[in-house]
Parts: sequence; C-alpha cells; structure tokens
Amino acid sequence: MKKNTKRLSSLLLALLMTAAVLFGAAVPVFAEQAPTKNGITSIEELNGKNLGVQTGVLYEDHIKDDLEDETWYYYKMPNDMIPALESNKIDAYLIEEVGFYAQRFEHPELVRLEEAVGVSDFAVIVGNNDKQERLFSELQQFIADSRENGWLEKLYDYWVINWNPNTCKIEERPELTGGNGTIHVAIEGGYEPFSFESNGEFSGYDVEFMLNFAAKYGYDCEFHAMEFDSIAPAVIAGKYDFGMNIVVDEERAEASVLTDPYYSCDIVFVLEGETGGEAHFLDGIKDSFYKTFVKEDRWKLFAQGIGTTLLITVLSVAFGTIFGFATYMACRHGNKLANRAMNVFDGFIHGIPTVVFLMILSFVIFANSSHITAISILGFTLIFGCSMFDMLKVGNNAVHRGQAEAAKALGYSDTQSFFRILLPQAAQHFLPIYKNDVISLIKETSVVGYIAVMDLTKMGDLVRSRTYQAFFSLIAVAIVYFILEWVLVSLVTRVQIKIDPKRRSREKILEGIREVE
Amino acid sequence: MIEIKHLRKEFEDTTPLKDVNAVINSGDIIAVIGPSGTGKSTLLRCINMLETPTSGQIIVDGQVINDGKCDLNEVRKKMGMVFQSFNLFGHLTVIENIMNPQITLLGRSRQEAYDKAMDLLSKVGLSSKALAYPDELSGGQQQRIAIARTLAMDPEIILFDEPTSALDPSMIGEVQSIIRMIAKTGRTMMIVTHEMDFARKISNRVWYMDEGGIYEEGTPKQIFEEPRQYNTKKFIQRLSTLSYRIESDEFDFEPVIDELQEYAEKLLIENERTSKLQLALEEICVNNLFELHSNPNIFVQIDYSEKSDVLSLELKYAGEHFDPRDSDNELFNTILAEPTTTLVDEEIINSPKWYNNHTKISFRWEDQ
Repeated sequence: MKKNTKRLSSLLLALLMTAAVLFGAAVPVFAEQAPTKNGITSIEELNGKNLGVQTGVLYEDHIKDDLEDETWYYYKMPNDMIPALESNKIDAYLIEEVGFYAQRFEHPELVRLEEAVGVSDFAVIVGNNDKQERLFSELQQFIADSRENGWLEKLYDYWVINWNPNTCKIEERPELTGGNGTIHVAIEGGYEPFSFESNGEFSGYDVEFMLNFAAKYGYDCEFHAMEFDSIAPAVIAGKYDFGMNIVVDEERAEASVLTDPYYSCDIVFVLEGETGGEAHFLDGIKDSFYKTFVKEDRWKLFAQGIGTTLLITVLSVAFGTIFGFATYMACRHGNKLANRAMNVFDGFIHGIPTVVFLMILSFVIFANSSHITAISILGFTLIFGCSMFDMLKVGNNAVHRGQAEAAKALGYSDTQSFFRILLPQAAQHFLPIYKNDVISLIKETSVVGYIAVMDLTKMGDLVRSRTYQAFFSLIAVAIVYFILEWVLVSLVTRVQIKIDPKRRSREKILEGIREVE
Repeated sequence: MIEIKHLRKEFEDTTPLKDVNAVINSGDIIAVIGPSGTGKSTLLRCINMLETPTSGQIIVDGQVINDGKCDLNEVRKKMGMVFQSFNLFGHLTVIENIMNPQITLLGRSRQEAYDKAMDLLSKVGLSSKALAYPDELSGGQQQRIAIARTLAMDPEIILFDEPTSALDPSMIGEVQSIIRMIAKTGRTMMIVTHEMDFARKISNRVWYMDEGGIYEEGTPKQIFEEPRQYNTKKFIQRLSTLSYRIESDEFDFEPVIDELQEYAEKLLIENERTSKLQLALEEICVNNLFELHSNPNIFVQIDYSEKSDVLSLELKYAGEHFDPRDSDNELFNTILAEPTTTLVDEEIINSPKWYNNHTKISFRWEDQ
C-alpha cells in the first residue's frame, strides 16, 4: 500500500514537472504578445528571412524567384504558423487571403502585406475510380451552374468575406436521398472557414458546397478528414471520390483530374503587427481551457480520439501477438520455405517507415476500401506481429538447448515441451522487450491521421486548428498518451509477474498436496 | 531388450558410427569407454532417438523405433536419460522437476507424484531442497536431482551420458555413489564415462568404442586387465602411463606438463609429488642431457602404480651418460636425498633398442 502511494506521488511529480516545462514555454502566447519588431512593409524586405508556408499548397512557387536567401519552413496546419510567428521562429508566412481573415478573427495582432504575392485558383480533384467520369462532369456542371446563378458568390461572401467563427454555420443541411450512392469527400477538417469540426459535425465552405452538390445529384455524402498533403495522393489512388481545396497548377492538372476552380483568392504574406493589448495571464488560461475542452463539447472529440487510439492499439497488440505466435510456430522447426518467407516479410515491414507502410496499405493495396480504422489495425498488427515473431525467436534461443532435449528424452511431445518447458522460460526473456514494443506501438499510432483515421493526435490537431492555441490541446494529448502507456504497461507487467514461475508462493507450488512429516 | 543392427550415423563432416551391432539385455550394466570423438555419446543418443540414425535399426522390445512409424514419446518414457549438463527445468522447483513429468506423461495424481518425488529426494539425500530452484544448487546436487527425476518415471533402462564430466572433482563421488546405489537394484543401465575406475567397478559389460563401432567388448576384467585388441591395449595402457620421445633440444615441455597435471588430477596424486617429478624431468633433460647431446634421443615414461602408490619417472637414452647425482641444482639434490625418493641409474648392455642408459626415479608419498 505504502509502496503504491509512493509510486503514485512520484508519478504525479513527474507529470507536474513536465507540465511546468511546457507551461513555461507557452506563457508568451498568452501574456507577452510582443509588438512588431521588424517593421517590414514590402516583399523585398523579406530577403534572407525565415518564411512559413503550409505543406502541399505550393504558394511559395509564386514568389520564390523574386526573393533571395530566404528559408522556407513547412507546416502541417496553417494555424501552426501563428505560434511559430509569435515565437519568432519565422518572420512572416504565406497564406491565402481567406485563411488570413479567419485567423485574424482570433488573433487581431496579425497584419498582412497589402502587396499580394499572386492569385491562386482552387479546384476539386476527382478520384481515379470507376465513378470518375460521371462525377467529374456532374461537378463541372454544378460549378458552372452555381457560378451562373450567383450561389457560389453568395457562399463565398458568407463563409469568407463575412467570416465569424462564432456565428457562421450551415443554416440548413440539405436532405440527402442517397439514391445514386454515396460520395466520399476528402477534406482537411481543421481548416477554417473551409472545413472544420463544429458540434460533432463537419462544417464550412467546402462542406456546404459538397452537401449541396450531393443533394442536387442524389448522392449521400461522407466526409473524411486527413492531413492536407495526403488528400491529393489518396484521391488520385481512387480511395475517395473528391478532394477539396486543391491549388491549381499545371503539373497537378496533368497528373490528375481537376475541375474548374470553385473559388479564387489572393495569396498574401502575414506578419506580426502591433499587439492588441496584453491579455491577463489567468484569463488567457481560462479562456484557452474553455475553448479547448468546453466550447462546442470539444472534450467529446478527445474522448472519441482516445477511443480510436485505444481500439487500434489494443487490437493491434492482440492480433499482432497472435500473428507473431502463429508465424513463429510455423517457422519453429526450421521449415525452409516458411522461414525464408518470414525473413523477407519481416525485413520489409521493419525496413520501411510506419507512415509510408500505412499509406501504401491505404492508398495502394486497399485503395478501394473505406475501412480505414481496420486498415490501420491491419498495418499495426503486421508491424507488431513481426516484432512478436522476433521476440519469440530471441526468447526461445536464449533458453538452453538442453531443456528441450531433456523434455524430449523424458517423453514430452513437441507441443507439450514447447508450452510447458520452453515458452515459460522464453517469456521471461522477451516480456521486457514486449513491454517496450507496446509503448512504441501506442506512440506510433499517432501517424494514422495520414490515412484519415481520427485518432487522438488528429483530434488534438482539429481542436488546435479551431482554438488557434496550442497549449491545452497538446498537453491534454500528451497526458492521455502517457496514461494509456502507463495503463497498458502496468497490465503487461502484471501478467509478467503473474506468470513468473519464480514468484510463486510455496502454497501455490504445493497446491492440493498433503505434505509428509 | 534393445537390439542395435548395423547402426550408422553420419554428420555433415564426420561419421562417428559406421556399423554398430549390439544387444542390451535386461539387467545389464554397460560401461561405454573409449577415446574422445569415437561416438560414445552419439550411440547413446541414437538409442533414445535424440539423434536420428542415418541407417540401421534400433529395436526396442521387438519394435523398430527408427522407421518413422513408432510413437517415440511412448518409447522414451521407458528410457530415462541423465545428461552431462543435468538439464533440470530452470523455471520449476526441484520438487516440480520430479513431479511434473509424472503428472503430464504418466497421468499420476499430484499426491502420488509428490510422494514418489519426496521418496526419491530422500534417497538422493536432498529432501531439504524440494522448493529450491536448480540455479540455487551445486552441480553435484543438480545431477542427483536429475537422476531422481529420471527414476521417478520408472524407466526400464537409464542412459547416463557422461554424468560426472561437468562436475568439480569434489562432487564426482556423491553422484557416483547414487549411480552405484541404483546399480544394486538391478536396473538396466548404460553409462558413457571417462572415469575408468568407476566404469570398471560398476559394470558387468564394457564396450570399448573406436574406429566407428564397438571395437572390443568384454567383462570389466577382460577389458581392463587382458585387452586383446591393439587399440584397446594402447588405450588401457595409456590410462596409467604417459610416454614421450624427445628428439630435439627444442622439445616443447608445456603439453607434457599439462598432461601430467591432468593425469595427476585423475589419479588423485598430490601436487607436491607431481612438482617433484616435473622438476626432475626438466633438470635431467633440459639442464644436462640437452647440454651433452646436440641431437638428443630420449624416451620418457611416467607411471603411477595405484597398488603400491608409487609415482615414477623413467628415462632411457642413447649416448653419453649423465648421473643425476652429479647435478648442481640444490633443490633437485635435496629431493634426491629425501627418503621417499628412490633412484636407479644404470647402463644397459645389449639393449634391443640401442638405448644404453637407464634412469628411474620413484617417488613415494610416505616413507614405508
């Protein structure tokens, strides 16, 4: 009991220390919003500066040739550039005018350079599958019609020009009949005002646009949120029917099927301007906490994310253990074919980065499947299974050969000898590695956002993209991962202790025996 | 009971067994001896199919066991095996090591298995270690428990594969006495061993293995006292004698000394006497004979007689004579002067092997 309390308190201490470090680093975001230092007013002055841009949008192509010695930093989500700017990691960043309006609503200290870098057209990419031809022409028609009757302009005015995150919402979700099937739409999901999460549903310009298209042409519509840079590859692979918000450029237009633009806007540089007064530290915290967890019931997003992460981890560990075990049993007697196959497979799985492997599974091998959670479970099952196979190999090799021989000589069958003599001893060798592998697995699952699985990390990203504040969502995500790890590792440790033959009590060893005096 | 017909075992690089034919009868206690690498252990391991014979037949109770059709696990239950490296199950306590195979393989109840195990543990003198784990025990204790584990299965025959080779000299005795105790109960046994004295006293048949098979077979008396075949004679003689021929003054004495140490250890000769012999050998050969002869030709024989407890060094050489009493090594002179040392130094006339000098120094332990 005493030991437990001690362990718990040291755990809490460690948590507090971690929080303090992160907290200290995060304070400037709330309190010390430094006024503009650089006084930059034109594009030429950005020579030699550090500049930010979102990965995959290609805005930097407009200006690269006009600048000298600049360094580009690439960000996964547009809103991640704000903290970067405020902590002086970058001096300015490129964003489409629309994004800037959305950001300025929460961050009035941001200013844009009046001089625009260029204009970008945004189109929808159409999935490379058997529905492509029909969907392409239908959407082309829809865009042309909507432009003509002024609906597209109205939509743009509402969501972009008059954007207000507190009031803007899809007033009326059109009725979807689904008579012609379901269309699957890939969106960023954390990108105001085009696609974002609100009250448990996706909302925004892209969403309303596609819902109306679907209603008009008799489809049901499902949205899939993923990292921006995996939208195009996923759609080209045919996994989804449409990908939203694709910047039109020649190379892309050649490699894939793009519709006519459904909106255009200026690309501008954003800098830090005069700050709009210092926020009180505690108010900042309270406000940030409210926005991260309470507003629009965002805690539910975290809960869902935890559920998904837990599901993937637990099932992958369970299936992976079974898979590793089964393959080991097949290879155990030195079957040449099985061993060679497993060696090649093992090398392949361990030789490529997890995220690449998952993307191959999702966009190449199972390009037509929309069961992305199942695909990621499959991926991690294979990864963990290969580790399990290696562990069993190492563990059993560590058991002296004489043990198997003695069992054999006594008359144990092969199976009896494996389960009663070898495995219990091997387990003590490989369980510590097993624990470590469970830990890495939990952490590695955080990349499933790339194949559009809404796990804990991705949910944190979504919330962060709406609150424009990094602190609470990142800390919350970190703490939850830590707790998940702790729980799973304690479970494995318990099992380890439970099956450790040397920890059994005298009573257990002599169970059911009347001892002679 | 067990019949071995034309047994052949090939490994990738050697063929230890070329053609083995033998019969083991119920009640036999067979000691298998011979130089290293002559397939003694391989033969034992073929009998319970831990090694699969390349060709030939092994017939147990009228049933061929190496034709792939036989249920080997059933056959092995009838054959116990005791390993050189004990091979107790490391994750189980001593009592479980003895109980579990009975429960799993013979279907005995836990209580039955426990009673049997405790009975055997007290026979091997280790009842107090029932709840210890193997790694907490000495080698000798582990081997006694391994024997108890084998006995608990009530085997018809027990195969001992060098049961004392991995043990400290001080623990060999305790294990041997357990095996002697089992021998008295009339159980069939087969023992591969390098302990000649033990082999001789415990067995009723001795197989001397060499040249890929059973080279000579006989009673212990026949094999140890009147071996008929050349290799057997040489092996038996070598057990009590070390001999060398020195034909260059750059002769390397190091292997001789190593062999001498090993020899002395085996025969329990005290270090003190071995050192005296070693000093005498080096003094006579290196310091004197090598000086006198640029091309020495010396025959050295080291001999120990258990009966009279005398360790002796015998030198025969050709050419100029050297009298050990003329040595100027003080320590050597002191040894020679001791009452337990006897020196014979003579000239050989008409030697058939043209050695003309003979020196023999004998060391007794106590003056008798």
